[in-house]
This record gives sequence, structure tokens and C-alpha cells, in this order.
Amino acid sequence: MKSSGMIGSSSATPSSATAWASTTSVSSSGKRIQREMLELNLDPPPYCSAGPMGDNLYHWVSTIMGPPGTPYGGGIFFLDITFPSDYPFNPPKVTFKTRIYHCNVDSSGNLGLDILKDGWSPALTISKVLFAIRSIFTNPDSHNLLVPGIAHLYTVDRPKHDQLAAEWTLRFAK
Amino acid sequence: MVSDSIANASAANSAPNARDFAKKKRANRSAKLKQCKLDARREQWLSQVKNKGSGEDSRGESRQQSGGGHQSLENLETRRRRDDENGSVHQDSDSESPSVSPIGLTGVLSGNHSSGNCTGSSSSCSSGSSTGCFSGSTTEEEEGGDDGCLDDWEAVADALAADEEPQNPPFDPPPEGETVGGVQSRGEHGKKLVVPDNSRSECVKRPPRTASANNQAWRPDDAFRPQSLPNLSKQYSFPNTNRHYGGGAIPWGCSKAISVPSSCPICFEDLDKTDSSFLPCLCGFRLCLFCHKRILEEDGRCPGCRKPYEHECSEAEPSLLEGSLTFRLTRSHSMITRA
Repeated sequence: MKSSGMIGSSSATPSSATAWASTTSVSSSGKRIQREMLELNLDPPPYCSAGPMGDNLYHWVSTIMGPPGTPYGGGIFFLDITFPSDYPFNPPKVTFKTRIYHCNVDSSGNLGLDILKDGWSPALTISKVLFAIRSIFTNPDSHNLLVPGIAHLYTVDRPKHDQLAAEWTLRFAK
Repeated sequence: MVSDSIANASAANSAPNARDFAKKKRANRSAKLKQCKLDARREQWLSQVKNKGSGEDSRGESRQQSGGGHQSLENLETRRRRDDENGSVHQDSDSESPSVSPIGLTGVLSGNHSSGNCTGSSSSCSSGSSTGCFSGSTTEEEEGGDDGCLDDWEAVADALAADEEPQNPPFDPPPEGETVGGVQSRGEHGKKLVVPDNSRSECVKRPPRTASANNQAWRPDDAFRPQSLPNLSKQYSFPNTNRHYGGGAIPWGCSKAISVPSSCPICFEDLDKTDSSFLPCLCGFRLCLFCHKRILEEDGRCPGCRKPYEHECSEAEPSLLEGSLTFRLTRSHSMITRA
């Protein structure tokens, strides 16, 4: 009697443990994302917005307004944010939905940003990521070049680069 | 001895007595009617507890304090009568304490009254012992009184608990034997309200308790109950002690809230006690143990400073050990050479 009880309990324990682990990993990321959403709503960063697309907490849409004084000024750039299920231990995937003439953003919208790859830290939040993205509008990141041609033009002929970037902004982001 | 006690009593009661008059309207009339019975009962009771020594003293003091609270105007008259009876003694006390004002005199009266109630040598002794406390500051006096209350009144009240409840109504019959003690204690509490100057709030608080025939000498949440109070095994069963500990715990909670984030910055779960005392990185970035373990399993870098956690260093102990080993060797070597 006793032994059977023991066996039952021991067999029940692993399954419950695994179930517990899986649920917590999901719910912890969910809690974290929800919390970030709350803080974004309470204290939205300037020139940015972000929020879940539909009712999927792990899929967000974000907008960043091009900083005035740059060729991107006046443009509104849409971004797609996808949180991994083990967020924040892995970085979110951020892609540009709006075409942009920028050496750190390739033609399919992928973003070359250190903190979204190796430089990710679980302590980073989406608002910090958006802040970093907005900062590369003014200062392209020369270490994560996705479009070397644009980077070359940027260093060689900055006015031409800015003119092209402004044209793209006018064309795609307004 | 008697005169001494009286003087003390007067000193103690001088301040409160003025208030007594105000209190009298709402005082308990039954007290007067029962006075004789009470006296007898008290004496009996005193003799019972007499051999308790200091405890008895404090008890007497408490009795003195509380004697007047429930007493009505009529009681005052009684007092005066007794005062007259003890006239010469009062004179003595007056002469002894020149500072006694007219109010002080009334105080003397009340004091006499109480002492009169506590007929017998033991009563006088108790009042005498109360002297010191009374002459001291109000709080001190209270403390002493409280001690007394706790010491004996509690026990007595507990013993009488069953009897007391039915007998709450003013004019209650025979079982007085026991009842007297209970009633008396109630009356004492009442008077105690009157005694200390700063106990006004207490006055407001206490009557409900007495009315409900609560037998405890001190309510656990009584603000005036000295926390340093003694020596009673009973006391430890009170929630009050818990409150004491709780008070101690509050600073801890505060410090935790102040110095440590309340939730893990990674998963936003609340940090428990272990988590909040967990400081994995020198940069001061705190996180919960779950997240820390998770990070160790992956890249093992501190989210705050992105430097590898030192746990890895401790895991890679062999290399570290070598260094420390050589270091230790050199140190010992130097020691030896010095020797």
C-alpha cells in the first residue's frame, strides 16, 4: 500500500514538474511583456509607440517618428516586434515594415543592431530598444552594417546619402 | 507607615482628582453602594495574595490608582467622610508634603479613601510602596501600576472571569465574594484612567473594555502597556508580545522595500526574502534566483553589466585555485623568512 502510494507520487512528480516549468516559462515572459506594455502606456517614450498587434501579446507593432533635423524627419516608420517565448532571456525580433534608406536596415527590414543580437541583456526593455533604434537614425551604427553601399555613400558623400534618405522617407514613410 | 502611604497616595492622586469630579457624572453608582462589601472583600483578597511580596505592592498601587475612576459624586462624599475619620493622619501627610495644594488635598482624600478601602496592614503597605511610583513621572507611575495589574489582577480576574460577567449590572447580588474582586478591578481601571495626566485617550479607550468585563489587566493593544513589562509567563501568551515582534519586523520590511527592488527586473515576479538578499554581481544588479539560474544556463552574463557572473569563476576553480595557491605559498614563504 505504502509502496504503491510512493510510486504514484513519484511518478506524478516529474510530470507535474515539467508542466510547472513549461507554464512558468511562458507565463513569466507573458508577465514581463505585459508589464512592459503597462509601462509603455504609462510613460510612453518620445516619438515612439508600441503595443500588441491584436490580442497576441507576443506580437507587437511599433511606430517611430523620424527625428526632425535628419533626412528621416517627418517620416513614420512601422516596426514589427516579435517576442520569443523565452523573452527576456532572448532578444525580441524587430523588423522595419516601412522601407528606409539606412545602412543598418536591409531591404527586407532586418535591423542590424547590436543589442538585438549579442548585445542583448535581459535587463533591456522594448522602450530601450526603441530608443536605440531611434538613435541610429541620427548616428548609424558602423559596426552592424547591413547595407554596405549605403554606409559607403554615408561616409563618402553624406549630402547625397541624406538626399536619398529624405526621398525614401518622403516616398515610403509619409 | 499609614501616614506615609497616605502622603504618597495624595501625591499620586492630586492631579487626577480634579478630573475625578468631572468623571463622577458618568461614574458607576453601584460602587458606592457596594463599598462596604468591597472593602471586606478586598481585605480578604489582599490577605490571600499578601505573601506575594512586591507583586502585592504594585497591586496595591494599581488599586489606589483605579480606586476613584468609577466612583461617583456620592463616593466622593464617602471619601470625605473617611477623610474626616482619618483627619489627623491627613494633617500629617499634608505637613509631610508641603507642596500639596488644595487639589493635592482632595488628592489626599481620595488617597485616604483608597487606603481606607484597603483596610489592613497589607493595604497600607501597598499604598506605601506605590509612593515611589506616584512621585515619579506619570509614565513611570503607569508602568509600575501596570506591572501590578499584570502581576496579580490578571490572575485574579481570570479566576473570577466566570463570575464577573453575569454580575456586571451595578447591583449584583451575593456571589460578591468573588464578584467584589472583579468589580473592584473594574473600578480600578476606571480610576486609573483618571490618574495620569496624559492618559486621556486611554480614558476613552478603556471604559468599553471594563464594560465588556474583559478580565485582562491590559489589553494586548493597549498603547500604554509598557513593552518592557516583566516577568509574567502569562504575558507571553498575549498577542501583545506578537505585536512587539511585529514592530521589530517592520523595519526589516521597510529596509527591504527601500534598498532592494520589490520585483525582479527580468521577470517582474516579486522578490522574496532570499532573492532580495541575493547579490550575484558586484555591479549591484539584483534579480531573482530563477532568472539568475536561467541566465547561468545560457550565456551567464550579468544583465546589468554584461560581465560574466563570478559563479563561472568559482566553477572554474582549478585555475583560480592555482593562483591563490601560489599566492598563499609566497605569503607563507615570507612569513618563514621573517621568522
